Amino acid sequence: MAESMVRLQRACKAFPLPEGGTVTALDAIDLEVARNEFLTLLGPSGCGKTTLLHAISGFVELDDGRIFVDGEDVSDRPPHRRPVNTVFQNYALFPHMTVGQNVGYALDIARTPRTERSGRVGAALEMVGLAGLENRLPRQLSGGQQQRVALARAIIARPKLLLLDEPLSALDRKLRQSMQIELKTLQAELGISFIFVTHDQEEALTMSNRVAVLDGGSIQQIDTPRAVYNNPANAFVASFVGASNLFQGMLQSGRVMTAQGDVISTDAAAAGSARVTALLRPEQFTIANGGGNGAAAKLDIGIRQIVFTGAGYEVHGRTMNGHDVVAAIAAAQQAQVASAEISRKATLLYDPAAVHIIAGGGDRS
Amino acid sequence: MRFARRIGTTGLIVYTLLFFAFIYLPIALIVVYSFNADPVNMMRWSGFTIDWYRQIFGFRNAASEAALYIESTDQLIAAVRTSLIVAASTTVIATVLGTATALAVYRFNFFGKRFYRVLLFVPMLMPDIVLGIALLIFFVGVGISLGIGTIIIGQCTFLISYVFIVVSARLAGMDRSLENASADLGANEWTTFRRIILPQVMPGVVGGALLAFIISMDDLVITYFISGTSTQTLPIFIFGMLRRGIKPEVNAIATVMLLFSFTIAAAGLYLRRRNR
Ligand SMILES: Nc1ncnc2c1ncn2[C@@H]1O[C@H](COP(=O)(O)OP(=O)(O)OP(=O)(O)O)[C@@H](O)[C@H]1O
Ligand SMILES: [Mg+2]
Repeated sequence: MAESMVRLQRACKAFPLPEGGTVTALDAIDLEVARNEFLTLLGPSGCGKTTLLHAISGFVELDDGRIFVDGEDVSDRPPHRRPVNTVFQNYALFPHMTVGQNVGYALDIARTPRTERSGRVGAALEMVGLAGLENRLPRQLSGGQQQRVALARAIIARPKLLLLDEPLSALDRKLRQSMQIELKTLQAELGISFIFVTHDQEEALTMSNRVAVLDGGSIQQIDTPRAVYNNPANAFVASFVGASNLFQGMLQSGRVMTAQGDVISTDAAAAGSARVTALLRPEQFTIANGGGNGAAAKLDIGIRQIVFTGAGYEVHGRTMNGHDVVAAIAAAQQAQVASAEISRKATLLYDPAAVHIIAGGGDRS
Repeated sequence: MRFARRIGTTGLIVYTLLFFAFIYLPIALIVVYSFNADPVNMMRWSGFTIDWYRQIFGFRNAASEAALYIESTDQLIAAVRTSLIVAASTTVIATVLGTATALAVYRFNFFGKRFYRVLLFVPMLMPDIVLGIALLIFFVGVGISLGIGTIIIGQCTFLISYVFIVVSARLAGMDRSLENASADLGANEWTTFRRIILPQVMPGVVGGALLAFIISMDDLVITYFISGTSTQTLPIFIFGMLRRGIKPEVNAIATVMLLFSFTIAAAGLYLRRRNR
């Protein structure tokens, strides 16, 4: 595909363990990132996100497989000869250089003429909102400002592809949210591809064109944020992306029955009976008025805890059969929540058509 | 209660004063008595003079005529010169080799690296007298005639260790992702070394060099064994003087050396502050 900016072909990497044996960090990864795409790698700690970025930037040598950037095979090139720049997790700013020297470093290396250099450094700092801080040292900046310097330094050489390894994880929540928006805007302005690593699923969903969910060195699912959230490919993705209630059981004539005895209604049909996992997102539930008699799609729970979240309530409960359930109830149902809090039980309703059925028993595939 | 606390505070102050007196009083006395006019008994104050200083810098005067302790100022000047030549050469050699070794150990993985590192510590831990004898036996055995050359070689054997340790400590505190960042921005290994690694280890290199210089200027035991009969460094010269009785010039020499060491230490501190 000529359109893709990066293409990984069966990228494999295993690290030897000191006590013998190996740990598989990349398990035959196939991945394509389009031009101007904002792709997020999402996954738990140790799933291989950093290794994947390092394979692209050249700090990790693949055991097998090829990497193409903009159609060129860069697999055998050293890091300094790849048209890729990185924003490091800890920023990795050069402590003995000023902000201006840090940002201009790539231009110095490329022997950019003096006047052009100072113009571009100024423009890059302007872009990240740090104009005028040129002569500060990195240690004289706040965490958020350092992050911006790292960003300016990485984009100044106009790479074809920018790799960002959890660049926002060290920032507080508020700053992180504003930086998320700025990054997204910047990416649109620059018109280059971003591969962004995070283990914060909310961040992944808000920022990306597509999300690749990784686990154990392989891609579990790669799709738009909406699809990953609404149609998870497997139980791992369902549980990792967003809060979820998973019921493993046998699907038979419009019902999923768990071994414990819980029953989930669904519109999905199976030929005969099949092992499946039913996914119900917390916001799919409402609390029934009264007993909710007559409704087929319901779950009776005992209340364990009710948390006010501002936008509504988070109701934590447990079915008679001991299955934990979490429901997000809108503020409009305040009265129902109040009575549930007093009676310590509630009936949760859901739409059987919205129950997502994942094939398989919920083991990580 | 308050009384007890007051006693405690007073006790602490007294202790602190005694502690510093213990460390600095002998040094202060040397400085004070270097201005003492009494040529025979330097512990008896008999007036202020700078004759001892004038004498060690080569000006003959009444006091020196009377005392005649230094047979020849030329000897002293020769000893100082030898010491400076030795210190300068060993500092350059030890700094270059120690730094190169530290960088190599930092950069590369090779078989027996740990053992190698231990080997580099050993000369520092070895008793001076053992090292002195060992070097002497070695030089004599190999057939190198003792002199300024053997002093330089001998001192380098342990000064390299000092530089290695100081520079290694600096390298250990360095963030390896900085090298990745540099490569990521297009710099090859040499550029990364020159622009990222070197500037950051520089304070360690300067610190190691100053340490090597001071230790070299100061070393008596090892140098004594390997200097031969015709070469004298300053410490050996002073040691020789003392064997013929404690002379007032020694105070003046010691004071000058003290001043010299302080200047170097201050320069080191200044450089470190500026580089941080
Ligand atoms: N240099 C290395 N030597 C040995 N094992 C390594 C090395 N680097 C990574 N690993 C292992 O490879 C696996 C993937 O590591 P990686 O750093 O890619 O994880 P990650 O997804 O970035 O995790 P995190 O979110 O914690 O940063 C882990 O099991 C890790 O222990
Ligand atoms: Mg990582």
